[in-house]
Amino acid sequence: MTSQGILNGDVRKGVIDKNIYGHFSEHLGRCIYEGMWVGEDSKIPNTKGIRNDVLEALKNLSIPVLRWPGGCFADEYHWKDGIGAPENRKTMVNTHWGGVVENNHFGTHEFMMLCDMLGCEPYINGNVGSGTVQEMAEWVEYLTFEGISPMAKLRAENGRQEPWKVKYFGVGNENWGCGGNMRPQYYADLYRRYQTYVRNYGDNKIHRIACGPNVDDYNWMEVLMREATPYMDSITLHYYTVPGPRWEEKRFATGFAEDEWFETLDKALHMDELITRHKTIMDKYDPNKRVGLIVDEWGTWYAVEPGTNPGFLYQQNSIRDALVAGATLHIFHNHNDRVRMANLAQLVNVLQAVILTEGDKMLKTPTYHVLDMFKVHQDAERLDLSLTDTSTYKYGDKEIPEVSVSASINAEGTIHISLCNLNPHTTSNVSLQLRGVAADNAKMTGTTLTADSMDAHNTFDQNDRVAPKPFTAFKLEAGSLSIELPAMSVTMLELKA
Amino acid sequence: MTQECKGCSPEFKVTDERIRRILDQASLFPPERCVSDEQYQARLAKCADCPKLQDGITCLLCGCLIPVVAKWKDRSCPMPGDNRWESKRTS
Repeated sequence: MTSQGILNGDVRKGVIDKNIYGHFSEHLGRCIYEGMWVGEDSKIPNTKGIRNDVLEALKNLSIPVLRWPGGCFADEYHWKDGIGAPENRKTMVNTHWGGVVENNHFGTHEFMMLCDMLGCEPYINGNVGSGTVQEMAEWVEYLTFEGISPMAKLRAENGRQEPWKVKYFGVGNENWGCGGNMRPQYYADLYRRYQTYVRNYGDNKIHRIACGPNVDDYNWMEVLMREATPYMDSITLHYYTVPGPRWEEKRFATGFAEDEWFETLDKALHMDELITRHKTIMDKYDPNKRVGLIVDEWGTWYAVEPGTNPGFLYQQNSIRDALVAGATLHIFHNHNDRVRMANLAQLVNVLQAVILTEGDKMLKTPTYHVLDMFKVHQDAERLDLSLTDTSTYKYGDKEIPEVSVSASINAEGTIHISLCNLNPHTTSNVSLQLRGVAADNAKMTGTTLTADSMDAHNTFDQNDRVAPKPFTAFKLEAGSLSIELPAMSVTMLELKA
Repeated sequence: MTQECKGCSPEFKVTDERIRRILDQASLFPPERCVSDEQYQARLAKCADCPKLQDGITCLLCGCLIPVVAKWKDRSCPMPGDNRWESKRTS
């Protein structure tokens, strides 16, 4: 069967906020330390302590925004531990994630330097669970105050005279769980209090982000929106794709059969229902959609690789993860009226990472390649593209749509169409009628990411087993575009006028 | 609604008991996959004074549990420019 659809090139559905392509970096396992930060004395080539290989790979992704320092770590992080001479910084135990030693060598200055190197906006997550209002207020003052103040003076003493620009600031993380086990009513009041002192200094205007619900906790969303809407610019949502019958029985990243392939993709697609239902609640209290929904933790969560520390959350990443990424990003596109940012968990070596490292070796995961291929959608306008007749991928007594699609047009008038074939066995045919598109003299090119087995992945010894390749299995004529998507593939088509 | 604190879960803790249980899983350590006992002890000794060993168990360079992976032939020390083991890792 062929999936049929219509692409209306002259019907625009709003901008796909580039921040949907954001990332998340927590002090967890080897995400920060060894993954990005090796220190200036390392034998691994680095720039001011940031390893060069990882930096170059990340720069290529045009990362728009990076969230830090957590995660659960954020609500135990005391920022003053991470400033000043590195040798004088506190060594402590990160009580989350296996209780490893944290020497605070990567702190505020290093994070802001990393964002500068990547050319991305910092998204700093403050501590509500175990921090004070004063501590949070002083962090904002330290970061952004220009002029005479105790924190501006301290910043200058630590080598930074000029204030930084900080747009995104989160007031707590997962305060329903690791951030204090709070009830929504209590957190809503705390949020209102803490955010009062997250000041705008000079021309730095902070986008205040409230801690939102976990997965399908619609009551948390209801209470927060009811009690605190005027005080927030965005609210968060966390949802991970976790194959397995229970949290304690998570499945592995590789070596799985088709039942886990299907289950994983089915669970990833659940993001659409979650966003739809949370949006309905948000619409009740914010019908003009002023408040953004930020999905600042998403991605796959598997059992860790055999022989690795379970607290480091180190997992491989296969073509299955590429499809989770592609299909989920399409869901974010489709909800661009409310979803203004998303942050894949996490950047390096943790969960659905785009980069894996081992000593001085580095590899790009299949997920990396999807974000590289899809970066053309950043800040482009979404085009009306709907499949009117869709093939389904069936497994057992369940079925999901076989194909996921999205399209955008950029400022130069170039159209990009991204497509995912979730079926691991068969080619999927797609036929699109192009309306409102000047396709007669246009040139179309394509790139695809696919593999020869469901768990195909890159290793340190074979780092290009899953990599994008030119794609030509399409035909464009008389306003009609037919495409043959390979099994288990993510494809990007570019139509240049 | 009760929410779980993901990071605090005991599943993320490394204990001696946990290491022992892993080492007791014979299926993970077939003889053809493992180095000799002498090599195993030599590897552990090399790691013992390594600055990248965390709490005597975890290698910070690769995230591996050293008492487990030191048994496997196909693993090697990931220390840049200072391979403390001997065989090449192929994973």
